[in-house]
Amino acid sequence: MGNQNREDRILSSLLESRDNNEHVIDVPKDRVYILITNIVTFLIGILIVLLIWQGFSVLYNEYIGSSLISFPTPLEAFDRLFELLSGSNMFGLTIYDHVFASLKRWTIGYLISAVIGVLTGLILGYCTRLYSVGIIPVHILQMIPGLAWIPIAMLIFGLGDESAIFIIAMTAMAPIIINVSSGIRKAPPVIMRVANMVGSSRLSIFSNILIPYASLDIINGLRIGLANGWRVLIAAEMVVGVAVGLGFSISQATYVVDYVSAFVCIMVICAIGLFVEKVVFVSIEKYIRRKLGLEGGA
Amino acid sequence: MMCILEAKNVYKVYLDQKKTKGRLVLNNVSLKVDEGEFICLIGPSGCGKTTMLNLMAGFETPTRGEILYRGNQIKKPSWERGVVFQEYSLLPWMNVIENVKYGLDGKKLSDKEKDQIAIDCLTMVGLSEFAEQRPNLLSGGMKQRVAIARTLAMDPDIMLMDEPFSSLDEQTRKRLDNEVYDIWLKKQKTVIFVTHSVDEALLLGTRIVMFSQSPGEIIKEWKITIDHSKRDLATSEFTLLKQEILSSLQTCSCADNYTNNSQKIINIEG
Ligand SMILES: Nc1ncnc2c1ncn2[C@@H]1O[C@H](COP(=O)(O)OP(=O)(O)OP(=O)(O)O)[C@@H](O)[C@H]1O
Ligand SMILES: [Mg+2]
Repeated sequence: MGNQNREDRILSSLLESRDNNEHVIDVPKDRVYILITNIVTFLIGILIVLLIWQGFSVLYNEYIGSSLISFPTPLEAFDRLFELLSGSNMFGLTIYDHVFASLKRWTIGYLISAVIGVLTGLILGYCTRLYSVGIIPVHILQMIPGLAWIPIAMLIFGLGDESAIFIIAMTAMAPIIINVSSGIRKAPPVIMRVANMVGSSRLSIFSNILIPYASLDIINGLRIGLANGWRVLIAAEMVVGVAVGLGFSISQATYVVDYVSAFVCIMVICAIGLFVEKVVFVSIEKYIRRKLGLEGGA
Repeated sequence: MMCILEAKNVYKVYLDQKKTKGRLVLNNVSLKVDEGEFICLIGPSGCGKTTMLNLMAGFETPTRGEILYRGNQIKKPSWERGVVFQEYSLLPWMNVIENVKYGLDGKKLSDKEKDQIAIDCLTMVGLSEFAEQRPNLLSGGMKQRVAIARTLAMDPDIMLMDEPFSSLDEQTRKRLDNEVYDIWLKKQKTVIFVTHSVDEALLLGTRIVMFSQSPGEIIKEWKITIDHSKRDLATSEFTLLKQEILSSLQTCSCADNYTNNSQKIINIEG
């Protein structure tokens, strides 16, 4: 609908300027329109989730569940969220402390994994011979569920932050390596021939050819790694004995039967994940696409 | 005349993807290229013309036999043998001038010198005003001209051009043919030019070399000594020659018939 209207408007202005024999016209970029459409679509998606949640909690509380402990409704959860945001305590600390602690573990674990993963991926992707052997351990790593690292983390680091960080790093690594190395191998053979013909140095081949061709895959790997890391962090915090964090709060809420707080934590976790995915990574990807000349513009 | 490139009894075998079948692609090809020649390679699709260029450029090595560049065996690609590829070969994230400059990537020149060379080469192919554009905004013919400018920038000793204009319309192709001819004349380069068009070969070549159907071998050669500016495809000489080449192309599927009288050289004096 929207597009049809837009094209129609453009056609009208084109027909008006037809007497100057024009058939190309500048189209004002309708940024606001696009932004609003995106936001509305997003909000509708969220609304659907809330509706399902509301519907289920009503259904549960009225008909299914025992009346002792009620299933939190979205409204209750939002109430508690605002309470917490305005500074009230949850298990001895504010929600900001919990969020900050989780984010810190996530960032450190993820950065370690990103650096190791990208470098390993670049090397594996570049050396064809190494790749066929080297990718096997990476695929094995990929198969290990994040929480399976708990015993090893405990063995090496004991209870605490380091264990959580270790688990995040191990889970985020495999998708990064796999995507980076397969991206590096995507440069078309003819382009590699051009590079060899003009006598490019290895550094120039990486920076001018291999990395640009791989950049979308690199971003994709980093993105999957980030999401994996985030999910496993929450789970890890529930078991590796840290005293602060969103995952810790959820497990704590379960013990003290404070389900509303647990739901608040889940909401915060989703919000942070969505922000990183929809705002940070989508903008990076758009920027790269434009830079690569894959999408319009000069 | 100095011999610049010589293929001696070259055979090439390719394995298919499953590595269960070997296919003979070039069958005992020998070819001597003298400095300053403009050689047109013609032959049916799949007969190994691109393979031959790849061997001469140094991207691949012959299975048997050898190829010499100025007397030395070719081991790896070099800027001295500049290739214009059959397929699209520009870097999409570089604008036109950067793409041309990329041809100088292996040379130790200052950025200013590189810029100057790149602009000169772009002007030579008539694209100087598009220097800042990204390749995705150019037409097919313009992209191919950028690729030619990049190869020119390398200042190669010999230019290997693989059907550079095969995807273009007749009009554009003729114009670009003229550009290539001008470059050849101005820069005194040696050119090996693969084409499917007999007309193109007749207008450009100082020698036409015909490959048989796969496995490729050279079955006939024609030397054309008429000055390029005096060539007119409407004259009886050329129509006759064209007839002959076309009928050879048609019958070349049975390559055996020709192995005995290969290297047939026909001279047409102007
Ligand atoms: N890398 C490769 N691996 C295996 N087989 C190949 C390879 N490259 C080419 N071939 C085969 O070698 C034969 C010759 O290919 P080539 O590209 O040299 O033909 P051509 O004469 O350039 O054809 P066209 O005129 O269509 O470009 C074909 O049968 C092709 O399938
Ligand atoms: Mg070919």
